Amino acid sequence: MEYLEGVLPPETNAALEAHVAACERCTAFVASYRETPRILRTATAVELPADIQESLHAFLRRLRS
Amino acid sequence: MTTVVPTADSSDETLAARAAAGDDRAFEEIVARYERRVFRVACRLTSETDAPDVLQNTFLQVYRNLPSFRGESRFATWLYRIATNAALMVRRARTRKPAESLDAFMPRFDEHGMHADLPAQLQVASRADELIDRQALVEKARAAIARLPDVYRDAFVLRDLEEMSTTDVAQVLGVEPATVRQRVHRARLLLRGYLSDLVGVKR
Repeated sequence: MEYLEGVLPPETNAALEAHVAACERCTAFVASYRETPRILRTATAVELPADIQESLHAFLRRLRS
Repeated sequence: MTTVVPTADSSDETLAARAAAGDDRAFEEIVARYERRVFRVACRLTSETDAPDVLQNTFLQVYRNLPSFRGESRFATWLYRIATNAALMVRRARTRKPAESLDAFMPRFDEHGMHADLPAQLQVASRADELIDRQALVEKARAAIARLPDVYRDAFVLRDLEEMSTTDVAQVLGVEPATVRQRVHRARLLLRGYLSDLVGVKR
């Protein structure tokens, strides 16, 4: 977990990095672990619909009046 | 004569102080800066159906609590805490999910300590956006996040999707940074497994 998070001490990290680079399976696993957040971030990046935005503004105007 | 400070260039903390003192333009600027982010995190923590209520409740609470904002955390962190709590309130009203074992989603190793799966199987999650069409991916991504145990979901959404620092997420959730890191790690393993499943390839 510390390796995947990038928080290992430099020497330990370098040793693991060397192993991962030489191992096709580890490379594939680490790539998929690191790509998963990016894929989900892109897929769930919704816009605020104009009607919901207008409802919010109307609600906040009433609140302050 | 009062000096007019340009609202759009002001820091969040300056705007918060002005809004707390009754400056409507400052409050509107806060809303303009954060309404999209709050809606997005509300969708990720709840659903598109519940997100409008979470959005409204968040800014209601922000408006009411601005006078008590003391700057002990960054304004953005303070606001995210309110938004997260508003989302959790909505979620609590829903049926609790059954706990799911993480074991099925852990990487498997053979007797030599090598990954038991082939590279093509191991990397498939990283190609989910190439392997299925965009609309299907959006739906599956939402379902995958909703399937996470709640504590993993909260940490993952704030850390990896909203891209907050581990320290800020820890403040929002009221847990230690080490706990955030562990929950995010477990969420990534689960989601990696879910993504592999949804493109129809064995982990």
